[in-house]
Amino acid sequence: ADIISTVEFNHSGELLATGDKGGRVVIFQQEQENKTQSHTRGEYNVYSTFQSHEPEFDYLKSLEIEEKINKIRWLPQKNAAQFLLSTNDKTIKLWKISERDKRPEGYNLKEEDGRYRDPTTVTTLRVPVFRPMDLMVEASPRRIFANAHTYHINSISINSDYETYLSADDLRINLWHLEITDRSFNIVDIKPANMEELTEVITAAEFHPNSCSTFVYSSSKGTIRLCDMRASALCDRHSKLFEEPEDPSNRSFFSEIISSISDVKFSHSGRYMMTRDYLSVKIWDLNMENRPVETYQVHEYLRSKLCSLYENDCIFDKFECCWNGSDRQVEFSALYIVVMTGSYNNFFRMFDRNSKRDVTLEASRENNKPRTVLKPRKVCASGKRKKDEISVDSLDFNKKILHTAWHPKENIIAVATTNNLYIFQDKLN
Amino acid sequence: MLGKGGKRKFDEHEDGLEGKVVSPTDGPSKVSYTLQRQTIFNISLMKLYNHRPLTEPSLQKTVLINNMLRRIQEELKQEGSLRPMFVASSQPSDPLSDSFREAQPAFSHLSPPPLLPPELVSTVPLESCLTPASLLEDDTFCTSPAAAQHDGPAKPPPAALHAVKDSFSSALDEIEELCPAPTSAEAAAAEAAAGDSKAQPGQAELAKAEGLPEGRTAEPKLMDPLPGNFEITASTGFLTDLTLDDILFADIDTSMYDFDPCTSATGAASKMAPVSADELLKTLAPYSSQPVTPNQPFKMDLTELDHIMEVLVGS
Repeated sequence: ADIISTVEFNHSGELLATGDKGGRVVIFQQEQENKTQSHTRGEYNVYSTFQSHEPEFDYLKSLEIEEKINKIRWLPQKNAAQFLLSTNDKTIKLWKISERDKRPEGYNLKEEDGRYRDPTTVTTLRVPVFRPMDLMVEASPRRIFANAHTYHINSISINSDYETYLSADDLRINLWHLEITDRSFNIVDIKPANMEELTEVITAAEFHPNSCSTFVYSSSKGTIRLCDMRASALCDRHSKLFEEPEDPSNRSFFSEIISSISDVKFSHSGRYMMTRDYLSVKIWDLNMENRPVETYQVHEYLRSKLCSLYENDCIFDKFECCWNGSDRQVEFSALYIVVMTGSYNNFFRMFDRNSKRDVTLEASRENNKPRTVLKPRKVCASGKRKKDEISVDSLDFNKKILHTAWHPKENIIAVATTNNLYIFQDKLN
Repeated sequence: MLGKGGKRKFDEHEDGLEGKVVSPTDGPSKVSYTLQRQTIFNISLMKLYNHRPLTEPSLQKTVLINNMLRRIQEELKQEGSLRPMFVASSQPSDPLSDSFREAQPAFSHLSPPPLLPPELVSTVPLESCLTPASLLEDDTFCTSPAAAQHDGPAKPPPAALHAVKDSFSSALDEIEELCPAPTSAEAAAAEAAAGDSKAQPGQAELAKAEGLPEGRTAEPKLMDPLPGNFEITASTGFLTDLTLDDILFADIDTSMYDFDPCTSATGAASKMAPVSADELLKTLAPYSSQPVTPNQPFKMDLTELDHIMEVLVGS
C-alpha cells in the first residue's frame, strides 16, 4: 500500500477519493442503504482505481517531478458522469469517471468478438441493441492543465461558478477556466524581484463557497489574505489581512515555523474560515481581522519538544483540517462549529464548540476492534502518567494523520494514516 | 528518542536537573540559551547543505530554515556589537546605543535593568521551554533569555560566559573563513536592516543587557587575545551569499557539518586546518562528554566550561 496524500468526499458524499504518493487515485463508493439493516449506513467499497499522474523529469533543472497527488477536488455532478481535478506538483488534470453497464450487440459488419465479417456473407441487416453487462467504471483524462507553475502546487479550489478554478504554488496563484487548458491568468504573485529577499511563501488557497470573486490564501508567516478579483487583475493587494499578534510569553526560536499555516478551509456558510498551524486550529470570523474567534490546541504538549521536532523535520508536517458536514440552518443561527484535524501516534482530534468538548481518538487496527466505539485517548504531558494515558515520549512521530475528511451531509469521517484509510461513523441508535 | 517505546524515568530525571537549573546564578540558563541557539543554527545549516534530494526541495521549508538562520545571525550580530561600546567609550555605530547607556547605571547596582520591556519578562514555566536537540526529552531549558532574567538579576559567572561567548565568536569566524566567499554583502546588509521579527529588538536589548555584566569584567581579557574580534559578523555575515541557488546547487564542502550533535565525533574535515576544525566541532557539540582541549589562539577557561557541562548534563 502506498502513502496516502489526500482524501476528499464528493458533494453528495457517495464517493470518497484518495490520492497517493505513487500517483494513483482510488475512489470508494458508499453502498446504497440497506433497508433491512437500518442501524448501519452503507459501507464504502472500492469503485475505481486509476493512475492519475506519472513521474516526470525536468531536464532543465535535472530534478524529478514527483507523481504524488497533492490535492483532489470534486466537481459538482451535472450528468451521469463524475468529474474531479487531481494535481501533483506541476500539472492539474480533469478526470471523468463514468459507468458503463450496457454494451451494444448485433453489429452487421463485426462478429461479437470484434472480428470483421466478410461483407459478402452479409445477407440481412439488423439494428444493434444494448444489452446489460457487468458494471465497468472508466476513468479518462479530459483536460490537462500544465506548464503554468514554476513552483510546487499546494492547493486547487473550484469556484462557486463551477466554471473556473484556482491553483496555488509557493509564490503564485493562477486562475483557470475548466474548458481551457492552454491559458491561465495569474492573480497573485508574491515572488520578489530578488529571490534572496524571499521570506514568505503561499501555503494554501481557497475560493469562497458563495462569492465567486473572493478567495483567501495563507502564508508561512501565519497570515491569511482575503482578495477580491473585482478589485484588480492582479490581486497582490489584499482586501483583508487576518493575523493574530504573537503571544510574547510563547515566543521561541520556532515561533515563525509553528505559525506557518498548513491548511485553510471556509465554513459551508462562508462566514467563517478555519486555519491549521502546527499546534493549533483557529476559527476566524471573516468580519474580524485582528484575531480568531476560537483557538483550539491540538497538541500543546509538543511545545516543549519543538527543537527535537525541528531536528527530525516533523515541525514541517502539514496537517489539514475539516469542518463537519453542513447543516446550513443550524450554522446560520448559531456559531455552530465542529472541526477535526490530525496529530501524531495516529491520533486525531475533534472540537465541538457547542458542547465545549474536545476528544482525541486513535485510528489503529490494533487498538480498536471493528464496529466498536472508539475509546477516547489522553496524552500525558508531564508529571505522573495515569493509567491508560500515553506519555509524550511514547508517541510515535512516524504515525501521523495529515489528511482527514468529513462527509458533507452525515456524520461519517475518513481518516488517513500513513498507509491506511479508516472510515468511522457515529453510532446510530 | 521520539520513536515508539523508550520508557524513561521521567520524573526523577526531571527533578534532578530542574533542581540544578533553578539556581540563583542564572549562568546555566544564559549559557543554555546560547548553546541552544548554536545547536539550532548548526541543525539549520545541516538541513540546508546536506540535503541532496532527487526532487526539488520544498521551497517553504527552505525559506523557513533560511529565516531561522538569518534571525540567529541577526542576534549574533547585535550581540557582537556590544563589545565595542565598552572598549571605546566613544560613539558606537550601533543604533541601540542610547538605551544601552541607560542600562549601565542600572547594572552598576546589579539590579534588574528597568529598560527591559515588560513583555519580555515572562512567567514562562520551565516545563514549557525549548528542548535542546541533544537532550531530547529534557524540558528544563528556557527559550528566551527573558525567562532566565525572570529568575533574578544574578550575574552569570563572567569568565565562563566570556569564555563560551568567545569560543562561539571565534567559531563563527572560522565558519566564515570556511564558507564560500560572499558575493553580495549588500543583500545581507539590507536583510539585517530590514529585520525579521517584531521581538527582535526586544531580544537584542535583553541580550545586550545580559551582556553588560560579563562585558565589563571581560573587557580586559577580551582586549588581549582578540583585538580584532569585537564585531562578530560586522559587515559580512556568513549568510551574505546564501541565495536559494546556492542552497540548491552549490557544491559546498559540507563535511564540516557532517556530525551528530549528540556526539563529539567529527566528520572528515578535508579542506580545513585539521586541528582547529576538530576543536571547533568539539566546542560546538553541546554535550560533549570529553574534555575540550583547544588549540585555539584565544584562551578558554576549561574548568569553567567543564563545570557548565556538568551542570547541563547533570552528571
